[in-house]
Amino acid sequence: MAGPSAPDKGDKPDLLTAAIFVGLGALGLFMGWGLDPGSLAQMGPGFLPRVVCLLLIAVGLGVGIPALRRPAQAIEAVRLRPVLVITLAIVVFAYAATHLSFVLASLWLIVAGSLADPGGRWTHTLLLAVGLTVFGALVFVYGLGVQVPLWPV
Amino acid sequence: MSFIDLLMLGFGEAMTLQNLSFCLLGALLGTLIGVLPGIGPTATIAVLLPITFFLPPLAGIIMLAGIYYGAQYGGTTTAVLVNLPGEASSVVTTLDGYQMAQQGRAGAALAVAALGSFFAGTVATFAIAVAGPTLSSFALSFGPAEYVSLMVFGLLAATILASGTVLKAIGMILIGLLLGMVGTDQSTGQDRLTFGAIELFDGIDFIVIAIGLFGFSEIIANLERSGSEGVTLAPISRLWPTRDDFRRSWAAVLRGTGVGTFLGLLPGGGATLASFSAYSFEKKMSKRPQDFGTGVVEGVAAPEAANNAAAQSSFIPLLTLGIPSNNMMAMMLSAFMIHGITPGPTVLANQPEIFWGLVASMWIGNALLVIINLPMIGLWVKLLTVPYRLLYPAILLFCCIGVYSMNNRIFDVMLAAGFGLVGYVFRKAKCEPGPLLLGFVLGPLLESNLRRTLLIEQGDPSIFVERPISLTMLIATVVLLGLMIFPAFRKSRQEAFQEEEG
Repeated sequence: MAGPSAPDKGDKPDLLTAAIFVGLGALGLFMGWGLDPGSLAQMGPGFLPRVVCLLLIAVGLGVGIPALRRPAQAIEAVRLRPVLVITLAIVVFAYAATHLSFVLASLWLIVAGSLADPGGRWTHTLLLAVGLTVFGALVFVYGLGVQVPLWPV
Repeated sequence: MSFIDLLMLGFGEAMTLQNLSFCLLGALLGTLIGVLPGIGPTATIAVLLPITFFLPPLAGIIMLAGIYYGAQYGGTTTAVLVNLPGEASSVVTTLDGYQMAQQGRAGAALAVAALGSFFAGTVATFAIAVAGPTLSSFALSFGPAEYVSLMVFGLLAATILASGTVLKAIGMILIGLLLGMVGTDQSTGQDRLTFGAIELFDGIDFIVIAIGLFGFSEIIANLERSGSEGVTLAPISRLWPTRDDFRRSWAAVLRGTGVGTFLGLLPGGGATLASFSAYSFEKKMSKRPQDFGTGVVEGVAAPEAANNAAAQSSFIPLLTLGIPSNNMMAMMLSAFMIHGITPGPTVLANQPEIFWGLVASMWIGNALLVIINLPMIGLWVKLLTVPYRLLYPAILLFCCIGVYSMNNRIFDVMLAAGFGLVGYVFRKAKCEPGPLLLGFVLGPLLESNLRRTLLIEQGDPSIFVERPISLTMLIATVVLLGLMIFPAFRKSRQEAFQEEEG
């Protein structure tokens, strides 16, 4: 993403937007290449995806080209810690809930998720983890009947 | 059945112990998240959507609705007491509300806001009750061509009335439409844009997108913005407003209610737009506009009445036409869909108890909110001292369980985590994810109606301009687009949202 040495011109958030729009549009076109577009009277599955992707690319260019000439504006700084920690915590939760058990998955999620914001006390985190796990087990597993093993087998 | 009979039917439904308790629960949750900054109603409803699957349809919808309008009440409390808007829609309330609190009149500000909101809620409830049957019988005459034009108009209007850059919002809608096309094609059965993943053959679940974009990425974004400063509370004085307050605010409440009810109806409208417009309208109407911002009671009464009225009247297009006008209503639409109910004119005819029960519950919920808010203000304010560190793990857990419980699939949770990252990138690119949801829920509807129209007409698109209703919608769309090109309108639109974005 945005380098620290921003040139004088270029609205970075808008350029990123343009990249996302054009990129997704192109991806959609590529994915939907083999789909039959049909005719207006008998539209095939490929008709609207193609139209939407072309529009998306057009909008992306419409956002991006004027942004090149606007005064420089940087993208807000990215802090990787919350992004990585939260995402990893969620992904491991999904596997743990299926293969291990709800209790382990929930304890993992809260303890690992808490690492995204350092500075808390360990005792608080552990109490929170136990409390929320009990609450979750009572409400979701017993109360609402979510199909997930409660304890490791 | 007459109007009164139908209303009685609604109250009968809403007054059952179960529905009443879910109404109370929704109102309480709404107030709670309204008070807590960092959690908005959209994220909360995204988290709770999977849970409504386990509830009877009416109870679940009543609860979700309660959260939406409840949040409007809760947001006021923090706006007035600590100059911290709990919701976007109460940003303007801080201008005069906090000033009033500084002058020791916090109690009066809160009471006026609560009573004004209750009045507005009552009026908006009646507006739904009156407009619902009329509009939906009108909508029964809609053919697929009318629906296509209506949806195109709705989608475009939503981008213009909502905050943020219009082009970006249109792009987000297109991405939403594209995401809505993932899965098996409705009429040919061919799989589209699935990357060959069997899990995607049924399409992407709304809940996965909603929780990813609003739940997960909001947590990440909040954690990035570290350093929540200490909160200083203004003392709460006498709760009851003075006679002078009443005299000055009743007209403001009336105007706010009018502005809010109307703006709530429009696509893209909703509580936030309504409160901003009501405030500036009130300022224009006032004999002493220079006093606004120094703690005038009208500056609290009008936007508070407006945001509550709009929160409720935005249900009208959804319930009568089946078209959600903002991302909150897109959530509500999917809450209906979870139970196999497609909102629209047929619901009113075939399942009147759902429509009227919801309408009645809104009025009951508003009454409950006054009770929840006024005497218990001290308790809610204490919640502000709960640090986000203790809050977000709970939200994270509810999000994860919610997504997982839909199909017990690892895939769904992974996909939601992916959308969390996508949402994070959107935030960096300053794109609001709201329109994407709107495009996503309307996409399949738009596509099937468009195909049906052109199939009937054998590929001749002139039907769209031959049907009067469709033509009106298309002209309105073109006019809106044209307005965006005019610099004067663009400027005033930017001014309207300036304070919000700041």
